Amino acid sequence: MAVRATGRRRLSPTMLRLVAAVFVLQLLSSAAAIFFLRGQMLEVVRADREDQVIDVRDDLLAAYYEGGRSALATYIREQRGSAADPGVLIALSGGGGPAVTSNVDYVPAIAPQERPRPVLLRVAPTLPDVEMLAQASPLPDGSTLMVGLVGASERRFNLAFAAAIGLTIAMATALAMVSAVLLGVAVSRRTHEIASAAEELAAGNFGMRLDEGDSGDGFDHLRLQMNTMAERISRLVAELGAVSGALAHDLRSPVTRLSAAIDTALMRVDDPAAIEALQAARADADGLRTMLETALEITRLEGGAVQDRRVPLDLAAVAEDMAELYEPLAEQSGVTLGLELAAAPVRADRELVSRALANCIDNALKYGGDTITVRTRAEGEGAVLEIADNGPGIPASDRARVVERFVRLDNARTRPGGGLGLAMVDAVARLHGGRLELDAGAAGGLVVALHLPG
Amino acid sequence: MAGRILLVEDDPQIGDYIARGFGEEGFTVDRAANGRDGLFLATDSQFDVVVLDRMLPGMDGLAVLKALRAAEVETPVLVLSALGSTDDRVAGLTAGADDYLGKPFSFAELLARVQALMRRGTGRQKVQDTVLRCGDLELDRLTRQVRRGARKITLQPREFRLLEYMLLHQGEVVTRTMLLEAVWDYHFDPGTNVIDVHISRLRRKIDDGEAQVLFHTVRGAGYRMAAD
Repeated sequence: MAVRATGRRRLSPTMLRLVAAVFVLQLLSSAAAIFFLRGQMLEVVRADREDQVIDVRDDLLAAYYEGGRSALATYIREQRGSAADPGVLIALSGGGGPAVTSNVDYVPAIAPQERPRPVLLRVAPTLPDVEMLAQASPLPDGSTLMVGLVGASERRFNLAFAAAIGLTIAMATALAMVSAVLLGVAVSRRTHEIASAAEELAAGNFGMRLDEGDSGDGFDHLRLQMNTMAERISRLVAELGAVSGALAHDLRSPVTRLSAAIDTALMRVDDPAAIEALQAARADADGLRTMLETALEITRLEGGAVQDRRVPLDLAAVAEDMAELYEPLAEQSGVTLGLELAAAPVRADRELVSRALANCIDNALKYGGDTITVRTRAEGEGAVLEIADNGPGIPASDRARVVERFVRLDNARTRPGGGLGLAMVDAVARLHGGRLELDAGAAGGLVVALHLPG
Repeated sequence: MAGRILLVEDDPQIGDYIARGFGEEGFTVDRAANGRDGLFLATDSQFDVVVLDRMLPGMDGLAVLKALRAAEVETPVLVLSALGSTDDRVAGLTAGADDYLGKPFSFAELLARVQALMRRGTGRQKVQDTVLRCGDLELDRLTRQVRRGARKITLQPREFRLLEYMLLHQGEVVTRTMLLEAVWDYHFDPGTNVIDVHISRLRRKIDDGEAQVLFHTVRGAGYRMAAD
């Protein structure tokens, strides 16, 4: 079981990156939209202005076809009709007559062309170049009619667009920020919801199920998979329970019969040697029973097939009670059992933690030195329960192994026990989402530390 | 103290062993090999104690127990089970069992617990008595003073509770597991003889230098406190 994730819900670096990516993408997409719009509008405006130039020309041509070149010259000179517009430049040249211009001092050199095109023209020697759309058209009498429409359309447009883009970017930035944060929060909330469910699973609540949405997105897929997984785990755990129950029934009944047979025999015999042998057999049968029970208990604990009986608990109180139980035995064995207790609040199953502590004290009494110290203290959001002795300790290379089931180090082989003590402690630690650590003490010996979350 | 016991157990060997043990102690034992027969017998006649195996063919032990309690049969029931974990014990007690014993067990443990169930509400010193006595030993539950004749005995709080429990159950065999459950509230077997050391310490304070011994060791079972 994993160490319980903390309840802190802030934007993690991953979350920030996601939010930033959403933000940048939104910005890029609105910029692209603006540029597309600009291009389109520019195109429309340009076509509009081109039409305007052509309209002016057609207007002038109408005058020409009605009254010939002189009528047109008059028309231009007197700035009639569309020639009255101060933004319209007109120049009539060639064709055997004098050049006539309107709004321009000279005849610009512009090659005849089908469509108006943008040119830079100096209207008067004192004025700077102006941008315009101009078109030169040859007339049937050999003269050339030039019509220009002043207007720095593109540049003005660009300036206007720059302002618009600035405003849009500012707004898009704000909106993108808001939506990125909202998205971030939504993703974060959904992820946390799923993580909490996983946490519950880890804590052994296999009945938990997530609400399955029907939108078919990745989150729904994840929820569906989580539920399928939980379903499978709960079925496996139930099977484990059934199997361990059956195994218990199958093995315990023979052991009970064995004990019963020994008891019956003990009642019938008077031979001291037979009694001694039967008593030894009885002790072994009891040892077998204890091992069987502990092994099954560990299986159950590891499978999480136990009810959640965690309550707020001070490890100091647990240590005090257990030390009180063991103190006479320690005294009889010539061992000093000391306590160094500080408040150590956790959420734990008193029975299981007491049992784990009893195992550790028992081990220390069997294999440790003549001083055992039980310490408790708060640690982060949880607490630690430590059992230190001044015995020979366990070599670093054996420490991981000794926690496994049925593993007994050489010096323990001659003593009673099944090699299940530390495996049981480890199972208890993991069931609580904590961990068991074995270490050498500062002055030698072994320190067994049980870290439990709050 | 003889009585009538109903034993519901499907394993014939274990059943024989238990029945023979109770027979030798002077009990009358009726037997049923499955849940249905057990339920029928238990509702039909009067028993002092029902010893009920939890895993039975036909009808599960806990179902029998629930049916019994639903039929308002209040006979004390001790559940025997191969499932010895705390969860199973709690499930048993919740279903209305008066005591729960995991297999394998020693007959002495079963006998002590059955006797304790039978004495519940009869002959025993009342739980509400303020002064408990055994011979010339006197324990005052209000002032928390203990004296043996004229001698005042100072006890640690836990020794006091241990002695109180022994006095409340005087004349009965009290096993180590019963003491661990009642005095320390632990439901596991610490494996070593922790309880024996507590008893011998208390015993020294009570019996050392006295002509009459009140603490008796019952071989293979536990302890008994009596002034006889």
